[in-house]
Amino acid sequence: MRNIRAFFLFSLFILLFGAAARAEARPVSYEGGTTLEASYDADAAVFLAHYSLKPYCAVGWRTEYRHEADWVFNGAQLNALLKRWNKADAQANLWFSSGLGSAYGLAGEFDGRTAFSAFAGVAADWENRRLYVSYANRELYAGEIDKMFEQRARFGFAPYVGEFGDIHTWCLLEVKHSPESDDNVVLTPFLRFFKGALLWEIGVSEHGDVMTMATIVF
Amino acid sequence: MRMIMFLWISFGLVVPAYAQESQVPLAAEEVSRSETVLVQVNGLVCDFCARALEKVFAKRDEVASFNVDLTSKVMTLGLKPGQVLDDAAIAELVKKAGYNVVKIERK
Repeated sequence: MRNIRAFFLFSLFILLFGAAARAEARPVSYEGGTTLEASYDADAAVFLAHYSLKPYCAVGWRTEYRHEADWVFNGAQLNALLKRWNKADAQANLWFSSGLGSAYGLAGEFDGRTAFSAFAGVAADWENRRLYVSYANRELYAGEIDKMFEQRARFGFAPYVGEFGDIHTWCLLEVKHSPESDDNVVLTPFLRFFKGALLWEIGVSEHGDVMTMATIVF
Repeated sequence: MRMIMFLWISFGLVVPAYAQESQVPLAAEEVSRSETVLVQVNGLVCDFCARALEKVFAKRDEVASFNVDLTSKVMTLGLKPGQVLDDAAIAELVKKAGYNVVKIERK
């Protein structure tokens, strides 16, 4: 009973105060805004839906399929904007997010097995209308099924400055570091487009793996 | 198969994005009689930021039109005739979108 209570408190702590980020376009949007996001890369296919209760807090649902280990995460996600610096010509943000749910093995040794799963990470970004830089990390725990840490940094520039309603384009480079992986540093140049409420990213890593993401805020 | 699934989901996201790309409607006669509010906003660096403001202000009955100049960082609101949206309410709405008001002017 004591263990269950400790587990519950730990889970609650992670969900409320833990941190996680996987280079999400907008971990929190405007108050009352709903965000849908789908992404695919060499590591995972992710579907995320979240609702911003406040301009600094969003809750949602995440489904993440991990290709290599062949398991799927399903669970709740909480994102928090800890600090935003709104400047005349730039914006910077510090984000925390976390998730709690279950991991389900789809093949191999853990086929059909279920385990408690949680993740936590932190992210930061800075941008003006010409330049963009961000950093995100994440620790993912899935019991005996998997455990991993990764961090990503992104740098980019806008080849032209778009106005309200235009298609905005960014050229970016992602550097991903996964200490447990054989290829522990992977570079992925990619393009980001957004127009209206839609954002789309597409790129190919140095190993030829496609990375893409689509986000809509409404 | 996984890629097909992803493309299918992405397509599902794209279609509603354009389906709801509506600007706030404004009748021609309302333009000439409406009050215009110019709001200087900090942190307005991208179209996504502007869309957040648009979504928040479009929900207000007082607002007839909305525009953003990303170069000058000025949001322009056209109010419906006879409608009032005071500075405090505008500042609060901008805050709900995640940004800060620098100054507000009215024409």
